[in-house]
Parts: sequence; C-alpha cells; structure tokens
Amino acid sequence: MTAIAYPPVSRRVLNGARVHAANPWTTLGLPWVILVAVFGLTYSIWRIVAWAAGGVGELDADAFRYAGGVTWILGYMVTVSAQAMNQTFRFAMGLSQTRRDYFAGTCLYFLGASAGYALGIAVLAAAERATDGWGVHGAFFAPAFLFDVPLWQVAWFFFGLMMLTLAIGIAAGAVFVRWRATGLVTMLLTIGVLAVGGAFLLTWADAWGPVGSFFVDTSVAVLVAWTLPVTALAVGAGYALLSRATVRD
Amino acid sequence: MTAIIETVGLGRRYGDVRAVDDVTFAVEEGSVCGLLGRNGAGKTTLLQLLTGQEFATHGEARVFGEAPLENPRVLGRTCFVKESQTYPDPVKGRHVLRAAAWSFPGWDAAYAARLARELAVPLDRRMKKLSRGQRSAIGVIVGLASRAELTLFDEPYAGLDAVARRLFYDLLVEDLAAHPRTVMMSTHLIDEASHLLDRVVVIDAGRILIDESADALRGTAVTVVGRSDDVDAFASGRDVLRRERIGGIASATVAGVDDAGRAAALAAGLELAPVSLQELVVARTGGRREEEGS
Repeated sequence: MTAIAYPPVSRRVLNGARVHAANPWTTLGLPWVILVAVFGLTYSIWRIVAWAAGGVGELDADAFRYAGGVTWILGYMVTVSAQAMNQTFRFAMGLSQTRRDYFAGTCLYFLGASAGYALGIAVLAAAERATDGWGVHGAFFAPAFLFDVPLWQVAWFFFGLMMLTLAIGIAAGAVFVRWRATGLVTMLLTIGVLAVGGAFLLTWADAWGPVGSFFVDTSVAVLVAWTLPVTALAVGAGYALLSRATVRD
Repeated sequence: MTAIIETVGLGRRYGDVRAVDDVTFAVEEGSVCGLLGRNGAGKTTLLQLLTGQEFATHGEARVFGEAPLENPRVLGRTCFVKESQTYPDPVKGRHVLRAAAWSFPGWDAAYAARLARELAVPLDRRMKKLSRGQRSAIGVIVGLASRAELTLFDEPYAGLDAVARRLFYDLLVEDLAAHPRTVMMSTHLIDEASHLLDRVVVIDAGRILIDESADALRGTAVTVVGRSDDVDAFASGRDVLRRERIGGIASATVAGVDDAGRAAALAAGLELAPVSLQELVVARTGGRREEEGS
C-alpha cells in the first residue's frame, strides 16, 4: 500500500471554496441578473416620471438621488450564503473535508465574492457619474449619502456591507445545517426580541438622539468599519455552530 | 499486519437511544470487511463515527492510528461513499467526479472515465434527476477511482440492478488486486457480497454481535438433517440457530461446529449441509426469535 501524503492546508481550504464554485450561478450569477433587472425597472420609472414632467430639466436636480434598489442585493446576500451552506455542507463532508477546512474555504469564497461585487458596483457607479446619472440625473449604484463620496468609499461601503450580510447568512446557514428550520425560527425570534428590547432600552434611556447623531456625524467609511467586528462575530458564531454539525437528516 | 481501524468502547447515544453501543473492533490493513446488520442497527452511524461525520459520546475510534474527527491526516486518506449522500441542486455527475479529483490525492481520472462507461452512468445530467441506482453508480465510481487507502461504502449499490451489482463486485475485486487497500462495506445483500469479504462484523441494536473472519464464520456453522431424535441428540447443548421439523425428519442449523463435531454428526447418520453467511446473519440477528414464535 503506497502511503499518499494528505493535501496541505492551502489546498484543503481551496477545496472548501471550490465546492461553492461547483455551481457559481446562484452565488455569482443570479444576483447580478436581478440587480440589473431592478436597475432596468428603476431607470424606466425615472424615464416615465421625466416624460410626465415634461423633460429631465423640469425636475429638481436630486429628484432621482434616493433610489434604494441597490440595497436589495445586500439583503439578498443573506439568503445566498445561507443557502450555499445548506447545499454544500453535506457534499463537502462526502468529499472527506473537515468542517474547519470547509468553513475556511466558505469564508474565503464569500470574501472573494464581496470584493467582486463591491468592485463591480463601484465600476457601475463610476459609469453612472460619468453619464450624469444615466442621462436623467439618476443615482442608482451610489444613491443618497453615497452620491458625493469618492468612489473608493462606494466600493468600501459595498465590500463591508456585503461581508456583513454574507457573514449573517453564513451564521444562519450554520444554524440551519445544525438544527434545520426549528433552529432558524428560534434564531430569528431571538434576534427580533433582542432588537425590540434594544429599542425599548434606547427609548427608556432617552438615547435616540445620540444614536442618531452618531450615524449622521460619522463618515461612511468609518461607519462601514464599525460593521467589521459584527461581521467577525457572525463568522465566529457560524464556525462555533458548524464545528459540531453532523450530516444527519 | 497493522490495524487501520481500531475502536474501543465506541458509542453514540441520542438521548436514550444507543445507536452505537460499546463497539470494540479492529480492521486490518488490506482487508475487506463487511459490516452487516438490519435496518437501524447502527451501521451508518458507526461508519460516520469512523469518518468524523458524527460525534462519539463514548469511547474512541482510531483510524490510521489517530482520532478521525476534524483530522485531515485521516480524512485525506479516507473515502466514505454513502447511499444517503446528497448533492447541491445543480451539480451534475461530471461535477461530482471533478470535485472528487481535487479532493482525493489518489484519484485516477482515466479509471473513473472507464468506470462511468462500464456502468453506463449519464454524467451530464443533474444528480437530482438521476435514479437512485444511477446516483449509487456515481458513488461507486467515486469510491473506486479515489483509490483511498481506506474506503468505506455504506450500502454502495442501493437501487443498482443485478447486472450492475455484479459488475461492481468484479470491478472491486479486480481493482483491489491491482491496488490493495482497506475496504469496509455495509450491505444487506450478504450472500451476493460474501465472496468479497475477508472479515464479517455483524452489528445489532448498536452492539457487535459477530466479529470473525468470513471463512471461520462460514466453516463453523452447519445444517444437519436427519431423524428427529438424532438431530435433537446432536443439537442438545449446542448453539442452535434454527430448527425445522417435518414429520419424523428434522433439520437444525448449528453454529460453532468443529471437525470433531462434524465427525460426530456423520457418525450419527446425519447429513451435513453448508450454511450461507446470510442464513447465519439472519439467524443471529432476529431470525431465531421468529422461528421460535411460529
């Protein structure tokens, strides 16, 4: 019997990432398709409004600056990573991967995905600015408070928030892999109770003012940096949960 | 010979249910070990414990001398093919083989391609759309072409037709001759697979009932046939697995019969018939109770 050396850690983590790449469509393809579709709809509405108003010149300069369509992709990312975990965990175990290598590979994959999405959206935001808001003063890819920040901050914003939402999805996916629907419902209820409890505490302490001014006074770049510890926490929770998960039905 | 698998008092409990209970056994390097038992006996759980997919609540397992849980040194040399394996939705057979190629260091792509042709598996269709037998065939390809030092099959041919099963046995024998490795395989089709097995481990209600070499196991059980009185006389004090009586003629399947015992049976005018592994396992894991009840 010839003893075969087992693969080094770099290779194993790469393999953990590759189980997601076996079908990149739902994680890397579909979100772009839907984002472009949402953009198309938004753009059509802008055109209709401009036409009804008698031309783009008749509208306020910031009339189309607060479209929220691009945030949709952020919310969708939670389901993207959660579903990816549920789909690939058993497959990875069947390929003799350790939970640790699979999890590290999963994080690597979604780190890369975050960078790709952030870069892509920043490029589209650059195009948006170069075309004077697609010819209608529209702001879809860098709307609202992103409208006048430098492009690198737009990219940073989406990179940071993409990582946050994907990490939340990873944690939710780990909960689902471990405890199925029961776990997920319990998790959502717990988060709901904590959110309401937090809101109550803020109201009781009359602290909404300082919270509001924190968000107003802090720059986008710094606000995004504040999500990083939350992201790290979600990833850590995800690993803690997955490291004890089994492939039981 | 060195032991590739070794367990001491290994157990997995879910609440009060002892899925695997106090299992101590070993599998030697280069042997083919059959893991037999009824549905729910704990075969899959045991194999999952050996591959770190399940967590032991009692005792320990050593594979290649180390604990398998989260251990890439063990898992990197192990391939575990199970009937209940699930695949991501859009994954096709060729994706599975590609993933196996970068997962198993000993993967033989040319051999995998040959197996796919011989087993006539469609590689360009989604795993979800395949029949149970076709999915099993892909599992068989992964198990054989991975050439892992330790290969574990859990019901590898569920849903495969008789021709494909026969092909699997032939391929396994042929490939083991060329590339010796350790194989442990759970199965319900005991007689079909019995010629492959060096060792037989029978598990019932989570506990090991039989752990013997296949030859010894086959050799020590016989069915004696003759006049009822003679059969009863021979059987008394022996380990009787099964008894039948028609008029004055009786037969008894008796375990643990040595050469002297055989001679005694012949001298008493009894006929001796061999007992298949399947009859033996059935008798040991519940058949006896049914016989007494009828």
